[in-house]
Amino acid sequence: MTKRAVVVDDNANNLMLEKDLLEVAGFEVFVAENASDAITIARKEKPDIIVMDVRLPDMRGTEAARILRQDKETSGIPIVFVTASVMGEGREEIINITNSGFIGKPINTRTFAKEISQFIK
Amino acid sequence: MSQKRTLTKYQEYSEGIINTVREPLITLDQDLRVVTVSRSFYEVFKVKPEETVGQLIYDLGNKQWDIPRLRELLEDILPKKATFDNYEVEHDFATIGRRIMLLNARQIQGVLGKERIILLAIEDITERREIENGLEKTRKELAVIKQSADEASEFAESVINTVREPLITLDQDLRVITVSRSFYEVFKVKPEETVGQLIYDLGNKQWDIPRLRELLEDILPKKATFDDYEVEHDFATIGRRIMLLNARQIQGVLGKERVILLAIEDITGRKEIEAGLEKTRKELEVIKKTADEASEFAESVINTVREPLITLDQDLRVITVSRSFYEVFKVKPEETVGQLIYDLGNKQWDIPRLRELLEDILPKKATFDDYEVEHDFATIGRRIMLLNARQIQGVLGKERVILLAIEDITERKEIEAGLGKAHEELTELAAELKRAARVKSEFLANMSHELRTPLNSINGFSEVLYDETFGPLNVKQKQYVNNVLTSGKHLLLLINQILDMAKVEAGKMKLALSSLPTKSLLNELTMLVADMVTKKKIEMLIEIAEDLPDIEADELKVKEIMYNLLSNAVKFTPEGGKIGMRANKAGSEIEIVVWDTGVGIAAENMGKIFEGFFRVDTPYSRVTEGTGLGLPLSKKLVELHGGKLTVESEGLNKGTLVRFTLPVVSRMGV
Repeated sequence: MTKRAVVVDDNANNLMLEKDLLEVAGFEVFVAENASDAITIARKEKPDIIVMDVRLPDMRGTEAARILRQDKETSGIPIVFVTASVMGEGREEIINITNSGFIGKPINTRTFAKEISQFIK
Repeated sequence: MSQKRTLTKYQEYSEGIINTVREPLITLDQDLRVVTVSRSFYEVFKVKPEETVGQLIYDLGNKQWDIPRLRELLEDILPKKATFDNYEVEHDFATIGRRIMLLNARQIQGVLGKERIILLAIEDITERREIENGLEKTRKELAVIKQSADEASEFAESVINTVREPLITLDQDLRVITVSRSFYEVFKVKPEETVGQLIYDLGNKQWDIPRLRELLEDILPKKATFDDYEVEHDFATIGRRIMLLNARQIQGVLGKERVILLAIEDITGRKEIEAGLEKTRKELEVIKKTADEASEFAESVINTVREPLITLDQDLRVITVSRSFYEVFKVKPEETVGQLIYDLGNKQWDIPRLRELLEDILPKKATFDDYEVEHDFATIGRRIMLLNARQIQGVLGKERVILLAIEDITERKEIEAGLGKAHEELTELAAELKRAARVKSEFLANMSHELRTPLNSINGFSEVLYDETFGPLNVKQKQYVNNVLTSGKHLLLLINQILDMAKVEAGKMKLALSSLPTKSLLNELTMLVADMVTKKKIEMLIEIAEDLPDIEADELKVKEIMYNLLSNAVKFTPEGGKIGMRANKAGSEIEIVVWDTGVGIAAENMGKIFEGFFRVDTPYSRVTEGTGLGLPLSKKLVELHGGKLTVESEGLNKGTLVRFTLPVVSRMGV
């Protein structure tokens, strides 16, 4: 069965890169450039995984995750944060979110899709 | 402090005197309780030390000292007079019988650690009285003898015999006619050896005294009478005696033409008492002198103390002022003494707080400490003073004296205020620094984020292109995209190293310590440069000591250090050259040496190699190959582990040797 992913990044280039890498690996990908859209799409599509940037224009990715966790429909979806914030800032809030993962930018294009797949049960 | 010590010495000295004086001496505090007692007091009055000190004087020796006259003296007379002399008290003590005492007392201020003490000297004059009474009696009797000699010689003789004073009558040849009973008793001679004898032959010639000869043979024939002729003589039987001789030449009594009546008074005991008294008086004088000196000393203390001191009488008029008071407050002696304190220095001292203190507080409390007063003086400006005062009874000839010490704490306050301000500024500065550090830290995090975001696209897309995921590239396209990818990775390395340097310098770099299997790790790390070594036809020598211990360190950091040093060695060594790595145990550390036979470092560049972005110009290295941060960052990472990193080179083209240590057990405690 085709795995379905919601990918959220406010940088159009990075969004395209992640989308293409996942599609090449056989994912069905839904994209969003902000957290609110991502939440709306996630509620509608109920994907197998959400791939999310942390610094988003409307709210932090971790805040969006808190909202998704509170909603019964989306609370069980694993979230992988793909972020350029690798100096330790905000790492605590990510660790405290259940069923979540972390990948730093720049990503390794050769292993990215495989890493994402590992977070799906 | 040395002044205080001197005062203590005086007190000890006084106490010493009290203990050596034969005269019983006792010191009382103002409640009439015994402070100290001389040894002789215990001996004369048969009381024990443990029953004496701290006791009310009246309670001593089972209340034997509750003497009405003593009460009168201590309670009525002394408070009014402060001193009295030769107050005679007669009392019948249960232990030692009836005694006549002569009391001398002095009230002394502030010695022996007491505000007011009474020094009481007790002279037991019982015996002296007896002697004096005896003498008086003898004199009276002599007068009677004289009167009745002409008329009744028999009566005279009987008188002679009843007199206590030894009496002897001689004829004109100085032979003994009669002798009084007391003469026999006192001089231990027998009647049968006496009468008819030459006086000089009495008691086995003991009486052959030159002074007596002089008196009887030279003086008496000329004067017919003499009084109180003092003779000192050492008798074989009764020892050294001092006698007072009184003689009369009487005509025609006792059936003789001329008779000499000689009264011999043994004054040895009295002399001793007198000598003792004299000594006591001298000693008392010494005590008095000491007391005077102590008083002078106190005054000199007042004058030498740096602290301005002022003494006021009970009307708040100035009695004395210390020199420093004049100096500090710019007032003149002639404008000060006798003035009301408030009027000093043209009424500059009329300070409400001072009035409050002297008129309200001091009368109630008698003492106060560290009363802070701020006042604007016309002459010396605004001053902050700390006032300490004591009310003292009966010194300097005044009933009540106020001693006021004034400490000018203006400068101290200024310093304190300055310190407070400096502290505030420092606190602000610290907060500012903390804020700046936070801003810097945030800036670095933001920079990191902002640089990585485009690099994610550059490296990501070029990698995907290079991998031909979406279709094949021609050779040129593939080479170009590879160049983009290589540059992108170099840029990423640069960003990472710059951020690491910044982290180390900000003290934010944390080590993730674990036990590292050093031997296998180092072997593995040399493999990382194996490709480069092969490509450049370089020979690599690995020497790892058999006993090299495992170390406690951050694995990623150690890998980074080793990779930086090994890749540098390869980069700066020409084809066909040699590089090597040696690892040894060195005490509680391991020492790793990475060496090469390459380009080396010129002496003038030795100082620059740790500055960052410095790269030796070399035909073998290309700009893209290094960041110029590898060595400085490696040094910082070694130091973070508690090790040391040094670089040695004999000069250009003489090769380079980098030596660093890492502790076996981490000293970081993380």
